[in-house]
Amino acid sequence: MGTSLQTDGSSRKNVLITSLLFMGLAHIVHFKQYVKGVFYALVEIIFLVCSPMLYDGIRKMVLLGKIREQYTYEVRAHEHFWLIEGMITLVIIGMFAVVYYISVRGALNTYREFCYEGKLKTNRESLSGTMGKSFPIFGLAPTFILIAFFVVVPLLFSACVAFTDFSLPYHYPPKNPINWVGFENFAAMFGGDATWTEAFGRVAVWTLIWGLVATLSSYFAGLFVAVILNEAKMKLTPVFRIIFILPYAVPSVISMLVWKNLLNGEFGTINAMIKEFGGTGFSWLTDKSILPNVMCLVVNLWAGFPYFMLLMMGTMTAISSDVFEAAKIDGANKWQIFKSITLPLVIYQTLPLMIMSFTFNINNFGAVYFLTGGGPALADTNRTFAGGTDILVTWIYKLTVDQMKYNYGAVLAILVFVVLAPFAIFNFMNTKSFKEGEL
Amino acid sequence: MESQSTKSTVLKVLAYVFCIVLSIIVLYPIVFVLSGAFSEGTSMASLNIIPFSNGFTTEHFVDIFESTDYPKWYVNTLLIAFGSCISTVFIACLGAYTFSRFRFTMKRSFMLAMLVLQIFPSFIGMVAIYVILERIGGIDTLWGLVLVYVAGNIPYNTWLVKSYLDTIPRSLDEAARIDGANHFTIFMRVVMPIAKPIVIFLAITTFTGPWMDYIMPKYVLRSPSNKTLAMGLFSFIDGKKGEFTNFSAGALLVAIPFIIFFALSQNMMVTSLGGAAVKE
Repeated sequence: MGTSLQTDGSSRKNVLITSLLFMGLAHIVHFKQYVKGVFYALVEIIFLVCSPMLYDGIRKMVLLGKIREQYTYEVRAHEHFWLIEGMITLVIIGMFAVVYYISVRGALNTYREFCYEGKLKTNRESLSGTMGKSFPIFGLAPTFILIAFFVVVPLLFSACVAFTDFSLPYHYPPKNPINWVGFENFAAMFGGDATWTEAFGRVAVWTLIWGLVATLSSYFAGLFVAVILNEAKMKLTPVFRIIFILPYAVPSVISMLVWKNLLNGEFGTINAMIKEFGGTGFSWLTDKSILPNVMCLVVNLWAGFPYFMLLMMGTMTAISSDVFEAAKIDGANKWQIFKSITLPLVIYQTLPLMIMSFTFNINNFGAVYFLTGGGPALADTNRTFAGGTDILVTWIYKLTVDQMKYNYGAVLAILVFVVLAPFAIFNFMNTKSFKEGEL
Repeated sequence: MESQSTKSTVLKVLAYVFCIVLSIIVLYPIVFVLSGAFSEGTSMASLNIIPFSNGFTTEHFVDIFESTDYPKWYVNTLLIAFGSCISTVFIACLGAYTFSRFRFTMKRSFMLAMLVLQIFPSFIGMVAIYVILERIGGIDTLWGLVLVYVAGNIPYNTWLVKSYLDTIPRSLDEAARIDGANHFTIFMRVVMPIAKPIVIFLAITTFTGPWMDYIMPKYVLRSPSNKTLAMGLFSFIDGKKGEFTNFSAGALLVAIPFIIFFALSQNMMVTSLGGAAVKE
């Protein structure tokens, strides 16, 4: 049957239709690539056999609470699973579509080669070609499977939950149904419900301040210390360097918990010290002023400057000594060399990392949660659960894990995405491969 | 000339003063934990503000080993860290090699998708992760947690390694291919050895991650004997339990290996941090 193909390219449509008709059909009928063709056909057969299940999955996801009466109590108890299984179904269908697309592309490519060479490849040739060409499939299979089920499905799920009423106490299975509610949660969060809107505004502003100040303070403190260690030519520089790295070396959970205790208002060591000198001490982490927020930033500075110090020292030593020689010959003094050569070079090279650090800090759960637990409690904390030092991620954590108000948690998660996506895209545009036009 | 040297002496003294003050601030909490681990008493309130002035005892170490699951937590954390480190390095490097060396359908979309996905902290989709793990029997198991970590690590780290591999000339692979090596051999024997700095960097960051994480283990691991160190240590000083000295003893046994390791590898970290990330 392979002979029915023309080498002048006129059978392209024919190949296209066959390959679209059933996955792998073109490979078997036109090219005699039986192994590949049967493999593709099997994929489609399995897909078709499973399709009633897939349909059921989608149906349950779309209808949710509306069809709960048709099921027993046991099935209903897992109504929120329907959403997740719906997502998994969508991902499986998406994967199938990708394989289908690849099979059609493969058939068309094989036809192009056939036109070019005038004969079909033998089965063995095509198989060994497949092994080489399909390396990307084997190389990326673990990546895809893991990302699909542990990153994409969960994210799609929480994106969907933002449009449902899934929350304790009134919309939580098995007692009560989950329903699709459109943009209600967004409306409540952005103006509809005064308490939530106010809490949201407070947390959002603090998250941004936190991200900016935490990053900038660590960055410039790190730069300052690095400059002193580099320029002062002290005998003890290596000793100081090892000491200053320590906060970076200690796991952050531990250092935050230690600070939490040191700063404790009742029995903390810092207050004990102040009392030794006749003071009264402060409730550092529980005061209803901005003191806890300031302390978060201070402790973060303690933990964060070593990273930038290391980074700056690395970049400074990497600057070629020729540049300094040239500057010295031109009669520049130490300060001028530092101001016009070292500093701009170091800042230029570390700027992308400062941006990465900003996105890291916006999501820096541990630095807030282990220190203050998001506290102190404010007027609306009873209802919204957002404390004075809560940033968006810690608030999301409390809403989903502690309070099971999944719908509001999901709305906030989408918001974190909106804030951070531009930075991710900026990082992307900064990569070498993007700049060189390879991607 | 004289004024110049006086000026530099003054500056040097200032630098010393600054560094000494900073050292005290940096060291105080660390020394306090060190002394807390060997102090008598249980809570922080019973400790003097001057470290090492509360007597000396090793009972807290005996206590955490005999009356708590501390050794078990330590082993669990080590297993999780090794598992997630080895799997992440292998999968991310293989993926990065594929992205760096092959052209294939939808490559650009895949790469952009990975970049966008790495923005999210993994606990955002925690409910779904829980359900999926439950379906494959991964709840309350260490491998379930490893799977979650590896999946969370992959998007960013694949990018990181890919950027590094892009700087390695392809002529090396081609030479090997002419000698008859297949793609996998080239990956293992040619590309990986050259990419050693970034592989080591990746191994370190993924190995240290699980030691500090609290959210995922709390959600995935249920039984007390499956706890990790972060959970266990937190439980010492969480809420009403104020066992600061036991906490210190436990924390010390975690922090010491970390600090030794960092002190030994700091030069390499400086070059990797500078080289790997800035190069992009």
